[in-house]
Formats: sequence, structure tokens, C-alpha cells
Amino acid sequence: MSAEPQGSMTLEEQARVLPTGEREFFLDVHTTDLEVNFGPQHPATHGVMRILMRADGEVITGAQPHLGYLHRCAEKIGENVEWLQYLPYTDRYDYLAAMNNNLGYSMAVEALMPGLELPRRAHMIRTICAELNRIGSHLIAFGTYGLDIGAFTPFFYAFREREWMMALFEKICGARLTYSYIRIGGVFNDAPPGWLEEVGRFCDVFEEKWKEYVDLLVMNQIFVKRTADVGVIPKEMALDFGLTGPMLRGSGVDFDLRRDMPYSLYGEMLKDNAFDVIVGKGEKGTLGDCWDRTYCRVYEMMESIKIVRWCLERIEPGPVLGDIPKVLRIPPGEAYVGIENPRGELGHYVASDGGKVATRVRVRGPSFTNVSVLEDLLPGALIADAIAIIGSTDVVIGETDR
Amino acid sequence: MNFDGIHDRLRVIQAPGLLGADLPRAAIPGAKHGESKDAGRGGDAFVLVDPQKIVPFLHVCRDEDRLRFDVLVDLSATDPKAEDPNLWININLLSVERRQRLAIKALLPKADLKMPSSTAIYRAAQWHERECAEMFGITFVGHPDPRHVLLPDDWVGYPLRKDYVFPKEYHGISCE
Repeated sequence: MSAEPQGSMTLEEQARVLPTGEREFFLDVHTTDLEVNFGPQHPATHGVMRILMRADGEVITGAQPHLGYLHRCAEKIGENVEWLQYLPYTDRYDYLAAMNNNLGYSMAVEALMPGLELPRRAHMIRTICAELNRIGSHLIAFGTYGLDIGAFTPFFYAFREREWMMALFEKICGARLTYSYIRIGGVFNDAPPGWLEEVGRFCDVFEEKWKEYVDLLVMNQIFVKRTADVGVIPKEMALDFGLTGPMLRGSGVDFDLRRDMPYSLYGEMLKDNAFDVIVGKGEKGTLGDCWDRTYCRVYEMMESIKIVRWCLERIEPGPVLGDIPKVLRIPPGEAYVGIENPRGELGHYVASDGGKVATRVRVRGPSFTNVSVLEDLLPGALIADAIAIIGSTDVVIGETDR
Repeated sequence: MNFDGIHDRLRVIQAPGLLGADLPRAAIPGAKHGESKDAGRGGDAFVLVDPQKIVPFLHVCRDEDRLRFDVLVDLSATDPKAEDPNLWININLLSVERRQRLAIKALLPKADLKMPSSTAIYRAAQWHERECAEMFGITFVGHPDPRHVLLPDDWVGYPLRKDYVFPKEYHGISCE
């Protein structure tokens, strides 16, 4: 942007005298296209992603996400290690929701094992862990999103509760971030004594704290003004881009794999009406804006608490691991299993030729497709809104790049 | 509607490029894995499609009244074996309206890895095809933005092919 006086005239000479006697300066603002390199090291990209933005003044005219900075060949590794050995690699794609990744991969492999019956307690513990992890993941999404657009405090609140959640996971499997706990055939070992009771206490405390989040950030006027009507994804666009999870529900599409294609225990929960699916309604602005997406995430946490409580009421002692040999040989076949990850549909396509090693492990990460929408969403937005829009996709780079 | 229902519907409307279906089947008793006898197949049922007619086929899947697969969930490829003459193209569709999935498989000969791009039907295919192209060396004809997505622009070879030779070094960095 430049404001140079034209020709040899000075600014004073260019000024127009208004009827009131005041002088009005006309600054003929020339703007040129400017290429802005956003990232790869930028806190708002939540990892290492580069977005090459073209801006005309304050308005973005083009955006090109560049991925691959965190590419770790997960799919190639899947073809070179044994079925069970691959499990720890699944932790690393969406490192904020590792339990869900373990679950997705295990379910995909189990789909190729006919006659494998999982103990009921294994299903229960799996569901509890996956939902607790969903809460933890949404807490990060909500906390860092506030941080991205200038609200510092909610971040610390979110991390306080997440710390407890991670301590719970540490008690059950020894790890805080990369669990490898849910494995093919069930879960690695049983919950330690008193663990389930502590999860119950966590639910009670979290319910109270959750109300604070809603007051503090979601319904906060400043936050609403910053996110409502920003980055609107219409329903058709969301479907065309293959968005899933809160990104899709934020656009008003009532679809959740847990309810609409139930797996594990979710079908049973539906009979009890144990949980609802949160769908954006365009309450504070246009349907499908950044606020709606945040709303979906934050309110989903409460639904996860309901699911955990449902499991806690019904869990009974028993075995937690099915009859699984030390070295797995998976019968020939191919299966695609998609589960509802915190960020959307995590799909695993696994193919086996009957050996100890997979023919193909394809990972369909939700963040990958969710980021692709930026190419069309950012142009037309203001530079100042770019962070709000990128943050609202809740991208985890470990998953886009795999 | 189950998978058979979808397959019947596709046959009735004569979906372009439809070659048939492959259903999971039990192993022949006594057959061992890896032997020439059929060892069965587990997992999902899928429809087989001619890769060159994938665009009109997806068009039918998306717009036909009783199908309405409005989301392309996944598009990827599989290299079953180094000596296998074909690559598999695996496409997964989802109907949000009718809560259904459809798995599609197309066999693409390795001798001529070219197929039309589905980007015009589903925008979601754009990035998946970019990834598929760099990892398997498939050319998607008519793709609007055929750059690499995960790999560096100067990467040599197609890493997810079974005959891929791991590089010894990359820009002076030893990979061994």
C-alpha cells in the first residue's frame, strides 16, 4: 500500500475544500498484489503448514496450502511392519486423539478377522477412552482457537482439565500422548482399581467447568463478533469438499458416524437415547461460520460426558482382550472402516493377502480434507480473519501429512 | 438398501463402466493361504468399475435419485504386488442423506497409468488425486492442479509402489 501524492502536487495541494471550510485529503491508495508466506512456523497453523497467500490490500485473493513438512511415510511403514507393530504409528497421525486412531486401525483389522468376538468390557473401555480423548482433543481445539484470536485465559482453563484427562490415561496405559492402548482384539490391559470411579469424578467436575467455558468464550460477545459470519462454508460446499465431523455439522448437516452408522456400542446407546448430535444452527450469524464450528466442538464435549456415564453405569468385570495370537496372520480381504474422530471421519482401508504384513494400509485423515477447503474459503476474506478461519478447521498437521 | 440393492440399482440404470461386484466369500475348506486354491476374502463388498469411465459412473452415483452419494470420502490406490500387472483404484463414497457407503474398485494397468480426473464431480477428489499421483505415478487427465501435495517437487520415484527403490541420498543428506 502506498499513498504517494500524484505528480508534483503535494498532499496539501490535492486537498479539497469542503463547504464547511474543512479540508479533506484524498489519498489515492494504490494496492498491488502481495504474496504473504504464512507459516510453516506459525502458531496458528498448529504445526508446520505453509499457506502461500496472495493479498490485495487487506483482502485475500488466493491461498495455496503447502503440506508435507511432517510427512512420515505412515502408509509405507504400514506395508513393511507386522499388523500389531503398526499400532504405535497410528498414535502419531492425530496426536491429540491417539486413542481414536488406535480404535480406527484396530477396527479396520478386526473387520478382516471373521469370527473374532470382542469381550463386552473391552468395548466399554474402548468407548470410555475414545470419548475421553475426544474431550481432550476438543479442549485443545477450543483453547488454542481462543489463543489464536486473542483470548488467552480459556487456554489455561482447557489445559487444566486436559491435564486430568491425560493423568487418567497415564494410569491406564502409562503414556500421556501416544497410548497404543486400544489394540487389535480389545484393549492392552484392564483398568487399574479405582480408575472407573475416578473417571466418574472427572465427569462430575468437568460438567461444572464446562459451563465456564461456554460463558467465558463461546457466548462471549467479543468472541462472537470475531467469529460469527466469518469463513462461511455453505452446506453444498461442505459436502463437495468431503468435510466431516464438526466441520460438516457446523454447516448444518446432521450427520455423525456414531449415530448414523453405529459401530462398537453406539448402536446400543441409541436405543437408550444416550447422546445427541450437535448441529450448527447459525445462531449468532450465518450457518456454517467459524462460530458454529466452535459451538459444535464445545457442545460435543458434553455429549461425550453422557456417553462415558452411560458406559460407567453398565460396565461389568470380565476379560478385556479377545483370543489374539502373538503373530497375527490376517485372512485375505480388504475393508474400509471409518470412525468418528474428533476432527471427522478417520478411515482406514486395509488390504491383506493372508500374510503377516499388510498389502496396503491407507489412512484417510479428516484434517487432510478439512484443510483442502482453505483453498476456496480464504479468498475473499480479510487478512485479519485468516487466523480465525484456519483455527476453526482445527487442523492437526500430523494427520494431514501422515 | 443394502449393497445388493445398490448394485441392482446401478445395473438397472446401466451405470456407465460398471463391470460387476465382488462380495466377501468364505474360504474353500482345506485351502491354505497363499496356495493356488481360493482362500476366500473378508471385508467389504465393492463394485468393479472401468477406470476410464469413472467420471460418468461417479456422476450417476451422485445425481441418481435413489443413490445420492453426495460425499467422496476417500480416493486412493493400492499396489497389490510388484509383479501384478494392475494397480487398484479404491474409491469410497458416502451418502449423508441415506446413511450408506459404497466402495468402488477399478483396475488400472501399470503399463498405462492414465485415468480421467474426478475433480469435476467431487471437489474432494482434487487433493486425494494429487496424493495418489505422486505416490503411484498415476496421471489424472484433466486435473486442474497436478502438483505434489506431500512430497517435495523434485522427488524421484513413486514411494507406495511395491517396486520402489529407496533412495540412497536426498540433496546430499544420506538416507542410509
